[in-house]
This record gives sequence, structure tokens and C-alpha cells, in this order.
Amino acid sequence: MKTLEIENVHANIGEKEILRGLNLALEPGKVHAIMGPNGAGKSTLSKTIVGHYDVEVTEGDIRYKGKSILDMEPEERALEGIFLSFQHPVEIPGVNNAYFLRMAVNAKRKHEGKEELNAAEFLREMKKYLEMLGMKADMISRSLNEGFSGGEKKRNEILQMLMLQPDVIILDEIDSGLDIDALRAVSEGINMMKDGKRSFLVITHYSRILDYIKPDYIHVLKEGRIIKTAGSELVAQLEEEGYESIEEEA
Amino acid sequence: MEETIAKYKEDFDLFPDADSKLEYIFDLGKKHKTLLPEEKNDDTYVHGCSSDAWLVGECKDGKLILRGEGTSEMAKGMLTLLLDIFSNRTTDEILNFNPEKLHDLGIIELLSPVRQQSLQAFLKKVYEYAQECKEKA
Repeated sequence: MKTLEIENVHANIGEKEILRGLNLALEPGKVHAIMGPNGAGKSTLSKTIVGHYDVEVTEGDIRYKGKSILDMEPEERALEGIFLSFQHPVEIPGVNNAYFLRMAVNAKRKHEGKEELNAAEFLREMKKYLEMLGMKADMISRSLNEGFSGGEKKRNEILQMLMLQPDVIILDEIDSGLDIDALRAVSEGINMMKDGKRSFLVITHYSRILDYIKPDYIHVLKEGRIIKTAGSELVAQLEEEGYESIEEEA
Repeated sequence: MEETIAKYKEDFDLFPDADSKLEYIFDLGKKHKTLLPEEKNDDTYVHGCSSDAWLVGECKDGKLILRGEGTSEMAKGMLTLLLDIFSNRTTDEILNFNPEKLHDLGIIELLSPVRQQSLQAFLKKVYEYAQECKEKA
């Protein structure tokens, strides 16, 4: 069974139709990269999957593990195991980073019928990943993303992913604004999550992250539709010839 | 008992400040179990505790089995922690235990004077039960 199936989805933001009959199926254990020019609908696609309030789906369906999720609230989709790493993570002053993440982790554990982690169990786990991602220990007591550098914000997104252990992982331009060390750390975190079952949807403009997270499929998104799907060899063609060279597949 | 204290010390050391250490005590209270209504009586009442608390002590095979119930969040957390340290130990282990070792936890000094007094009241009750248990054996 496909992990996520997007079938003929049309979606608007405001009055404007952004996704225009988009079809995409994520396979278990596979890394799908979405590339496309600015304004193609890449971020709208990620927002549509997680149920962002800005997006109105006017046609089509999205099924997660065989079940339609269009009527589910964003938090229900998250509890079920769909994770989105934001392109621009939001700063929330006054909300402690560790408390926020612990509440999210325990809400998901509760949903899965597992015992909640107490504060010490949680911190032990969190510190392990902080170290792995090269993050400072004070991330525990700081407010969520407040005053974080671009790299720290993206590492924090990956920390959330590692702690939440989702089944479908959508990474919206996780590589933007990262220096090479941060890119390596973030990629290492993502690669740790590969278990042959989880599906990844990596939205990116650049090929460099795909050197670290080897994609199984490259999908080109243009004007709200996937116009081409191929293996990783497509990246080189895109780098060389740009999106204009890509002809829509029949 | 020292091993259990060391285990908790490791936990408390994970927290960066006093507030989060105290919050962890509240967190421990989530595992707190209650007593039967008939077990909460004058004999089991912990006198000197800042909030109502009861402690039941039973001797079994030379060991003291303790169960307790507290009413405040702090009492519930501290009881969970202390019962883990003191319950199911031989009477000699308890009577020979130096309560100063509880300071190794790194949290006793964070407790308010009233709560430190509650801790003393708890310890007094535990030692009374241990003494009775030893005498019966």
C-alpha cells in the first residue's frame, strides 16, 4: 500500500487555484524529491497535505495509509504520523522549546496507546538528539525558535521530527539558509529516520541536499501539477538545463 | 536505597534549573497511587506534613512495604519518589539509612522550609513503621 496518495487534487489559496489536478503517490521507505520553479505550488502542496487553514481543496482526494484525510484537522493528521518541517519555522516567545516538544511527543504517544514519557525520560532522549544535531544544550530552556539563527531553526525542526518519529515526513526547503555543517547535521538526522517504511517528501530548489539524502524519485512540479517523474538522474538535467527544458509527460 | 537515590540524582541532573527539577517532582506524582478510604485514618495520617498525607506500612518477609497518598501535587510527587527509595526494603536497611544521603538527590535544598518539615514528618513515620516491624520479627 502507498503511504500517501494524492489524487487529482485541486487547491486554492484565497481565490487563486494553485494546485491543478496534482497526482502523487509516496511509497513506503522511499525518498521523493519535489523540485520546481518559484510559484509552482511546492509549499502549497505541503500545506495541503497537513491541512493548513489557508488552503481549500476544491477537488480530488488525499489518502494516508488508505484513508482519506481531507476531513481531518491538522493536529489529527499530525497525531496519525504526518510531519511537516516548515520552510519558515515560527517563533513563539514564552513557549519553552522542551515543554512544547514534550507535549507534542506525549500527545502522539497517548494517541498511539503508549505510556507518556516523564520529563526525565523525555530530556534524556532530547539530549541525545541535540548532541547528534550539534545543537546547544540551552535549546532546552529557550523559547520555541525565538532568536534562533536560520540554521538553529532548521535543526530544531529536525529535532522535532526525530522525537516525534512520524511515518510521512515532509521537508519544505529544509536546506534553505543552511551552511555546510548544518546541512550535514540535518541530513544525518533525516537519514537516521530511514527505516524502509517511512516516506519522505523533500521539497527543494537545490541539488546539494540530494547529495546527502539520496532520492528515489524526482518529481517536477510546475503550475500546480507534477509534469515529470524520474530517478535521481533528473537532478543533473535540471541543474544544467533548468525547468524550461522539461516537457510534460503524457 | 543508595542505588535508587543515584538513579534519581541522574534524572534530576538532567534539568537545567531549580524550577524544572521541582516540576519533575510534580511529574513523578502522575504515577501516584491512592489508598483505600478505610486505610486513611488517624494511625496512618502523617502528622506535621504541610498537606494531608497518609502512609501505610506492612511487614512482609522481613521487609517493610509502604504505600501512601498525598493531597497536594508536591506531596504526590515526593511520595512517589520516597516510596521508591524506602519501600520494599529490610527493616535494617531502613533503620541504618542515613537520611542525610537524601541530599545527594540535589533537590532537598530546593524545598521550602514547610516542605522540608513535611519530609521530616514522612521520615519519622517510616522509621516508626520500620522499628515496629523489626520488633515484631
